[in-house]
Amino acid sequence: MNAVDATDRGAAQEDIEPPSLLTIILDTNPHAWAVLANTLPLSKAVANLLVFINAHLAINHANRIAVIASHSERAEWLYPTPAHVQRERRTGTSHDSEDFEMENGDGDGDSLGSGGPVHPPDDANKYRPFAQLEHALLRNLQRLLATTTPAAISSHPSTMLAGALTRALAYISKQTTSTSSLTSTSSAQFNYSDPSSMAGGNSADPTGTSRTSGGSSTALTSRILIISVSGDLADKYIEIMNSIFACQRLSIPIDVLKLAGSPIFLQQAADTTGGIYLSLETPQARAGILQYLMFAYLPDQTAREHLIVPGEGEGVDFRAACFCHKRVVDIGFVCSICLSIFCEPLADGECLLCGSHLSMANYGQNPVVVAKTKPKKGKKRMLDGGADTGTSGGEGTPAPG
Amino acid sequence: MAHSDPEYDDQGADDDDDVVVPGRGSRSMVSRPKGRAQAKWEAAASRNWELQEGADGSLEGVLGGLEEAGKRKRLLKDTTPLQRGIIRHTLLVLDLSSAMNEKDLRPTRHLLTINYTIAFVREFFEQNPISQLGILGMREGLAIRVSDMSGNPNDHISALKQLRSTEPKGNPSLQNALDMARAALYHTPSHGTREVVIVLGALLTSDPGDIHDTIKACIRDRIRVRIIGLAAQMHICAEICRKTNGGDENCYDVAVDEVDYRQQLMAITTPPVLRSTDTEAQKNNQAALLMMGFPSRIVEEKATLCACHGNLTRGGYLCSRCKAKVCNLPATCPTCDLTLILSTHLARSYHHLFPLRNWAEVSWKRARQKGSVQCYGCLSAFPAVPAQYEVANGDEHDLLFARTKRAEGASESSRYECETCGNHFCIDCDVFCHEVVHNCPGCQSQASLPGADGDGEANGG
Repeated sequence: MNAVDATDRGAAQEDIEPPSLLTIILDTNPHAWAVLANTLPLSKAVANLLVFINAHLAINHANRIAVIASHSERAEWLYPTPAHVQRERRTGTSHDSEDFEMENGDGDGDSLGSGGPVHPPDDANKYRPFAQLEHALLRNLQRLLATTTPAAISSHPSTMLAGALTRALAYISKQTTSTSSLTSTSSAQFNYSDPSSMAGGNSADPTGTSRTSGGSSTALTSRILIISVSGDLADKYIEIMNSIFACQRLSIPIDVLKLAGSPIFLQQAADTTGGIYLSLETPQARAGILQYLMFAYLPDQTAREHLIVPGEGEGVDFRAACFCHKRVVDIGFVCSICLSIFCEPLADGECLLCGSHLSMANYGQNPVVVAKTKPKKGKKRMLDGGADTGTSGGEGTPAPG
Repeated sequence: MAHSDPEYDDQGADDDDDVVVPGRGSRSMVSRPKGRAQAKWEAAASRNWELQEGADGSLEGVLGGLEEAGKRKRLLKDTTPLQRGIIRHTLLVLDLSSAMNEKDLRPTRHLLTINYTIAFVREFFEQNPISQLGILGMREGLAIRVSDMSGNPNDHISALKQLRSTEPKGNPSLQNALDMARAALYHTPSHGTREVVIVLGALLTSDPGDIHDTIKACIRDRIRVRIIGLAAQMHICAEICRKTNGGDENCYDVAVDEVDYRQQLMAITTPPVLRSTDTEAQKNNQAALLMMGFPSRIVEEKATLCACHGNLTRGGYLCSRCKAKVCNLPATCPTCDLTLILSTHLARSYHHLFPLRNWAEVSWKRARQKGSVQCYGCLSAFPAVPAQYEVANGDEHDLLFARTKRAEGASESSRYECETCGNHFCIDCDVFCHEVVHNCPGCQSQASLPGADGDGEANGG
C-alpha cells in the first residue's frame, strides 16, 4: 500500500497495479500424498510452490501471501505464523522448543503477521522476504507433520477443506477491510450493496458484470488457490458450499489445481466463482507442476481480463450427489422442505432428513400430451349429449384412411 | 438489520392463532392492539447522547464499544432452525402514484425505490434461487403489471430500468393491487409460499370496493402481505399485514430514512418462517417431493438454437430428460416441463436451514483462562488481558470493570467465543462468519471438537 501512496499522483491511475493477496490452501492429506509419493512427493510439490509464491511476491511488492494447510484432522496456518505457536515457543511448551531458544527474546515485534518469530539464517544471496517466508512456511509445515499422530491419520482419511476455506475467507475479509479502511468499508462488509455481485448464480454471463467488481485501483484483490489431492469431500458438502457462495459474493475467484482424486464440487467452485480449474492426471503433467502454476495461476484477476485463461470452453459437470446413496444423479427428487436430494422416490413418503411427510408431486405423470386429453373431452361431450359410449370411442380416434 | 427479523421472535404466540380459519376469523379481526408500541422514530428521538467516559477520561474505548455493539445488534438473532418457506412466490408491488415524486428520500422516492428494488431483485434470487418473483405497480388507481412471475432476475431488472423513465402519477389502489396479486398467485403450487410485498409511498388508497373483502380473500388464499411505508403509518396497512400474517404485528413498518428503507427491503429476502397454522392449512396438499433435473453444462462447436428463447448460443444446458437445450438456469424445460436447476442453487439455501449459532461475549476472566491472544479466524491481535495474576480476585474484577466498561452488547475483551469449538474471534470475523460465510472457522478446522472439558462451567463464575 505504501507503494501506491508514494507514487506520483499525477500518473494515470490505471497504471498502478492493485496489490493482490494470494491465499493458498495446500491439501496435506497424508493418505493422498502417500499415493502420489512415486510421481510427485510432497517435498517436491512444496519446493515448486515456494518458487511460485516467490514469483507472486516479486510481481508487485505490495503483494501478499497466506498459506493454509488443510490437513487430515485440522486446518492450520502455515504462513503467517499464528500467535499461539509463537507463544508456545516462547514459553517452551512446544515439542521442539530447544531448537528455538535463540529467538525467545525477539518474537514480539512481528506478531501481526509479518512472518512470525522464526528468523531465517542470514543469506546475502537471497531476497529477504523470500527467505523469511520460506523459512516460516517450512518450519510450520514440519511442525504440523510432526504433531500429527498416527491415530489422527487413521481416523480421519479426508481433509479439512471447509475449515481451511473458512479461515482463508475470514483472513481475506479482515485484510480487505483493513486495507481499504480509507474508503467506505461497511458496505463492502455486508455486501448487500454490491451492485455487481452475481445474482442467482447464472453462470451464462460470468465475464461481464462479475469481473469488474474486483475493486478500484487501490483496493486489495484477493484470490484463493486450492491445491487438491484428496478425493471425497461429500461429508462437508454444506460447509464447503457455504464458503463457495461467500467467495462468489465477495467476488473472490477460487482457482483449483487438482493433482489427484476426484472432488466433484471443486470444479463447480471454480466455475461458480470464476476461477481456473486444471486437473493434472498423468505423471508427466504432475512433473510440470511449476509450469502449470506459473502460466495458469500467476496472473491475478486484473491481468486475466486480458488473457485467454485455460480451462474455459469445457463443459462443467453440474450433477448432484444424492443424499441417500451418494450416487451422482442428473434427475433427482427434491424435498420441498429441506431441499435434500434423493435419487429415487422414497418408499414410505417420508423425507430422510427432515422427516416431513412428502406426497409425490407430479411423478409418474407423463409430460402433457395434448392428444391424450382430447378423447376424454370428446367422451364427456358425448355423454352430455346422451350418446352411447361405444360410438364415441370410434369417433374420437382419428382414422388413418 | 435491526428490523429484519422480528418475525422470529414471537413464533410461539402465533401458533394457536386462528385467523386463517375464515369463519371464526371475525373475532380476531375486530380486535385491535390496545397499547400501541413505541413508534420507531420516537425511539430514535429519545436516544441518549451522553457518553460515559472511561476511568482515565478517554472516550476511545466507549466509542469503539458502541460501534461493536451496533454490529452485534444487527447480528444477534434467534438461531433455532425453523422451517422456512424456501420455495417462495413473491409479488412485489411498487407505488407508482404521484406521492412517489416526493424528494424526502433522495433523489426522489421513485428513483430510490427503483434502485433499491434492483438490488432487492439480485439479493432475492441470491438468497432464494428457486423462487419466483413478479413485480406490479400502482398508478392512477390501477394495478399495472411491471414484470411477470419469473425466476430470472434479468427479466425484472430490465423491466425496472424501463420504469425509470416513467413519471409516477395518480393515486394508488391497494385493493386493486391485492386483487391482481391474488390472481397472479392463484396458480402457484401449494408447497411454496405466497407473499406480497408492498412499497407504499402514498398516505391514501383509492379503492373501487370494500378492501376488507379483499383482505379476507387473501387470508383464504394463504397470501402473506408485508408493507413498507415511506411516509407515515396507515391504519389500513397495519390491518392488512396483521390479518394476513396470522396476527403478527411486525410485518408493517415505515422506513425513517434511506438506510432504514434499504435494510427493511433487504430483510424481506430472508425466507419467511412457516407457521403451524400455515402447515395445518397445507397439510392436505403440502410438502411435495419434486422431480428436478441437474443438467451439466455443455460447450458446442457450432452455435445452435436454445429451446427457451430461440437464440443462437454455443453453450448451454441439456435437459436431463429430453435433451432440449436451455441457455440459463434455473428454468423449466420448455419441452418436457421438468424443473432444471443447478445443485449449487439448492445448496445456496442450506444456510437458512442450518444457521450458525451466535457467539458469546467473552469476559476478561474467560479470556485469561483461554489465553487467546489472536483471532482464530483472521489472526488479528486481541487487546492484551490487562490485570496480572497477583491481584486478588475481587479487586481485580472491579479494576477490570472500571477500565473496560463498554457499550451494551459488546464484549469487554473484544473477543467472541464460539461455544461449540471454544475458539475466540474478533468482531469483524463474528459479523463476517454470520452474515456471509455461515460457517465457524474453528468448528470446521478441527475434526474432534472439545466437548465437555470443564471450560463451560468455569465461564459462568
